[in-house]
Amino acid sequence: MTAYILNLLVLISVYAILATTLNFIIGYAGIFSLAHAVFFGIGGYTAALVAMNVSPEFFVAVPAAMAAAAVTSLLLALPALRVRGEYFVAASLGLQVLAVTLFSEWKSFTGGIGGVIGIPAVELFGFPVYKPWQFLVMALICLAIIIAITRTLVHTSFGRSLKAIRDSESAALASGKNITVIKTFSVVLSSALAAVAGALYAFYMSFINVESFMLDTSVMVMAMVIIGGTATIVGPLLGAALLMLMPSALTYLTFLPQTEIGSIQQIVYGLAMVLLMIFRPGGIVSSHPGGGK
Amino acid sequence: MLFLQLLANGLQVGAIYALTAAGFSLIFGSTKIFHFAHGATFAIAAYLFHFALAGLGLHWTFAVAVAALSAVVFGVLLDRLMYAPIQRHEGSFFTVFVASFGIGIVVQNLLGSVFGRGFMSVSTPLSNSIEVMPGLYLSPLNGLAVVVAIVCFVALHFFMTHTFIGKGLRALSENPELVRTFGLSPRRLSTYAFALGSLLVVPGAIFTAAGTGINPAVGHHVMLISLAATIVGGIGSLRGAACAGLLIGVAENLAMWKLGTQWSEAITFAILFFFIIFKPSGFFGRATVS
Amino acid sequence: MSAEPVTARETANPAPGSGFTGSTDDQEVLLEINSLSKNFGGLQAISDVSLNLRAGIITTLVGPNGAGKTTLFNMITGHIQPSQGDVRWQGESLIGKAPWRIARKGIARTFQDLRLFTHMTVEENILTMMEPGSWLWQPGGKSRKARRYSKVSQIMDRTGLTAKRHTRALDLAYAERKFLSLARIMATDSRLWLLDEPASGLDPNSYNLFLQLLREEVKEGITVCIIEHNLDIVVNISDRIAFLDQGRLLADGEPETILNDPALAAIYFGER
Repeated sequence: MTAYILNLLVLISVYAILATTLNFIIGYAGIFSLAHAVFFGIGGYTAALVAMNVSPEFFVAVPAAMAAAAVTSLLLALPALRVRGEYFVAASLGLQVLAVTLFSEWKSFTGGIGGVIGIPAVELFGFPVYKPWQFLVMALICLAIIIAITRTLVHTSFGRSLKAIRDSESAALASGKNITVIKTFSVVLSSALAAVAGALYAFYMSFINVESFMLDTSVMVMAMVIIGGTATIVGPLLGAALLMLMPSALTYLTFLPQTEIGSIQQIVYGLAMVLLMIFRPGGIVSSHPGGGK
Repeated sequence: MLFLQLLANGLQVGAIYALTAAGFSLIFGSTKIFHFAHGATFAIAAYLFHFALAGLGLHWTFAVAVAALSAVVFGVLLDRLMYAPIQRHEGSFFTVFVASFGIGIVVQNLLGSVFGRGFMSVSTPLSNSIEVMPGLYLSPLNGLAVVVAIVCFVALHFFMTHTFIGKGLRALSENPELVRTFGLSPRRLSTYAFALGSLLVVPGAIFTAAGTGINPAVGHHVMLISLAATIVGGIGSLRGAACAGLLIGVAENLAMWKLGTQWSEAITFAILFFFIIFKPSGFFGRATVS
Repeated sequence: MSAEPVTARETANPAPGSGFTGSTDDQEVLLEINSLSKNFGGLQAISDVSLNLRAGIITTLVGPNGAGKTTLFNMITGHIQPSQGDVRWQGESLIGKAPWRIARKGIARTFQDLRLFTHMTVEENILTMMEPGSWLWQPGGKSRKARRYSKVSQIMDRTGLTAKRHTRALDLAYAERKFLSLARIMATDSRLWLLDEPASGLDPNSYNLFLQLLREEVKEGITVCIIEHNLDIVVNISDRIAFLDQGRLLADGEPETILNDPALAAIYFGER
C-alpha cells in the first residue's frame, strides 16, 4: 500500500511540474500549447540518452534535457508567436502530431515504438537515487523550485508584461511591448522546465516510450491547469492531483464498465472543462467566480 | 503510374479537406469563435452515417440525411447552448477555446465507448475500385467526391454572394460593427454560420466513412487540417481555405511516393510552418497582427 | 440653422480651447498624414486623407459613426496597415513599423473599448506601461524602479484612483476605468496622445476632472488628438477640428471656421 501511494505521489509531482509550467504560459501569457507533452518527451528521451551514454548525474542529464527542450520550443515559438494566438494553437497541434511520428520512427534517439529500456537510476553528486521515497523527495524539491521560479517571475516587470499581453494584446503593443520576444521567452522557459518533469519521469520509470508523450497527455495536462485554475499557484497542483487520482477513484465505482475507465475519465474532464468555462472560467481555485482567467 | 494513383487519391482527399476547412473558416471568420469542436462535428456525422447505413440498414439517402441533420443540429446546439452563454459574460479566446476543446474530448470518448475505438469503414457499391489503366485504380467515390465538392463550392459561392444571409455573413467577417448598422443580429447570423459551416463537413464525413475509414480520434486530424488550411489560405478567406485544403490533400498523398503513410501529417505541418514563416497572411488573407 | 453650433459655445467653460493662444497654423507639425487610404475588402474605410497634427494643441476628429476616425488612429499606431499613403512622425515614416516600435517613439493611445489589462490591479496597469523592456529586469536598477513607483502614486492621485490601487481593472466602476485608461498613457512619457472617445459617458464631476487633466497635460507640452462626439469637447477644448465623413476629410481648421459651416453642421447634426 505504501508503495502504491508513493508511486502515485511521485507521478502527481511529475504531472504537477507539467501543469505548473503549462500554467505559466496559459495562465499568465495567454498562450495555448497543445504540445506540452512534446517537451515532456524530449526531456525524457534526452535525459535517458545522456544517462545511458554520458552520465546518470542529475546535474548533467537534467540541464541537457532542458537545453534540448528549449531549443525545440524556440523553433516552434519564434515563427508561430509572430502572428495571432490561433496560429500557435495550430502550430503546437501540428508539432505534437509530428513529434509522435518522430518519437516512433527515430529509433536511434527514442528506440522507436519499443521505447528506451534500462535507464539507470539518477545520481545526485554520485549517489544513486532509486528508493521511491528518496525519489519522491527529489521530485518534490524540483516541483518546489519550479513553483518558486514561476511565482517570482510573475511578480516582476516581465510577469506584468506577460499578463498585459494576455489581457489585451493590442493595448500591450500600444504601450511599446515587444510581444514576440516576451512570449517566445515564456514558451522557451516553460518548455525547458517541462523537460525537468520528463527527465524525472524517465529516471523514475527506467523505461519510456512514445505512449506517454502523445496528444492525450498534452490534453490531460491542459485539463489539469484549466480545471484546477489558471493563473494561480495552487490550481495546477490541485488539478494534477485530481486528475491523477481520478482513475483510481473510478475503479472503486464498480458499476462502471472497467474497460471504459479511460474514456470515462476523459469524458469527465472534458465535461468539467465545458461547464467551468460556462459557469466559472477561472477554474476551481478562483477568487472571482464567473470572473475570468 | 503510382504518381497518377497518388494524384487521384490526393484530389479526392483534397476535395474533402477543402470542404471541411471551408466550414471551419466560415465559422471562425464570421463569428470569431475558435470552433475546435468542428472536428467533433465531423466525427459525429461520419459515425451516424455509418450507423444509419451499416447498423440500421437504411437507404443511403436517409443515411446522408441523418449525417447532415446531426451535423447541423450539433453545430447549432453548441452555438446556442455553449458559445452563446460564454460570450455573454466574457467570451475571450481562452474560454471559447477551452470549452470547444472540452466538447471535442467528450465526443471523441463517447463515440469510442459506443462504437468502439478501432477503424471503421462502410463499404458501398461505389467504393469498389476498377483498374482504369494498368496500375491506376479508381473507384466511383474518387470522382464523386471531387464532383460533390465542386457542386458544394458553387452553391456556397452563390449563397455567399446572392442571399441576404450570405452577404450578412461576409459583412460579419469584414466588420462586426457594420452588421449592426445594417440591422442584422450578429447572434442570428452566428447560428446560420454554424449551421452552414457544420453542413460543409458532411460530404467529407461521408466520403471518409465510405472510403479510408474513421476512428474516434478523427476529430483531431480534421482540426489539424482545418486549422492548417485556414491559416495557409488566409484567415477569413473561404476561397483560401478551400485551395489550401486541396493543396494539403494532394501534398499529403504525393508525399507517399517517397515517404511512408505515417508522414502524411508531418507534410501538413511542414506546409503550415512554411506559411507561418514566409507568408503568415496566407494565400488571400490580410496580414493581421492583433 | 448655422447659428445653432455657435450658441453651444456659450456653455460651461469660460476659457475656450486648451488655453493655447495664437494661430494653430504656425505650430510645428508633429505628425503628418499624407493621402492615407484603407479599404477592407470592398469597403473604402478611409480615402485619401491628409491631415497634420500640430505640436502642443488639441485636434479633435469629429464625424458621424463609421466615418473612419478609429481606423485612422489604428493606422497611425500601426495596428492596421494602410492600403496607400504615408504617416510621418517628425519627418520619419511610420509605415510598416510594428505598433510597439511606434509606441516607443512617443505615440500613446487609448481605445474606445478601453482594453485595460483587466485581470491586473490598477497599480500594475499603470506600472507596466513604464516597463517596455522585454527581459527579466528593466534597465536603471533600483533608483529607476523607485522613480517608477513614485510616478505611479502621483498618477493615481491625479486621476483619483489611489483608493483603488489594488483593485483589478475588471472590478472598477465605469468612470474609474476611463481614468485608468488615461492614467496608463500618462505613465508613458509620450509626446502625442490619441484619445478615442475619452469623455463619453462620464458624469459631470468626472468630466470636469478629465478636462482639468487634459488642460494640465497640454500645458506640459503634450499634443492631443481626440475622437469625440461630446459637443462641449468639440467646441470648448479643441484648438483645431478635423471633420471626417465616410472616410473622407471634409474640412480641417480652427473651430470657428468649421462650426460655422452650415454644410458640415448639417452632416454632423443630421446624423445625431
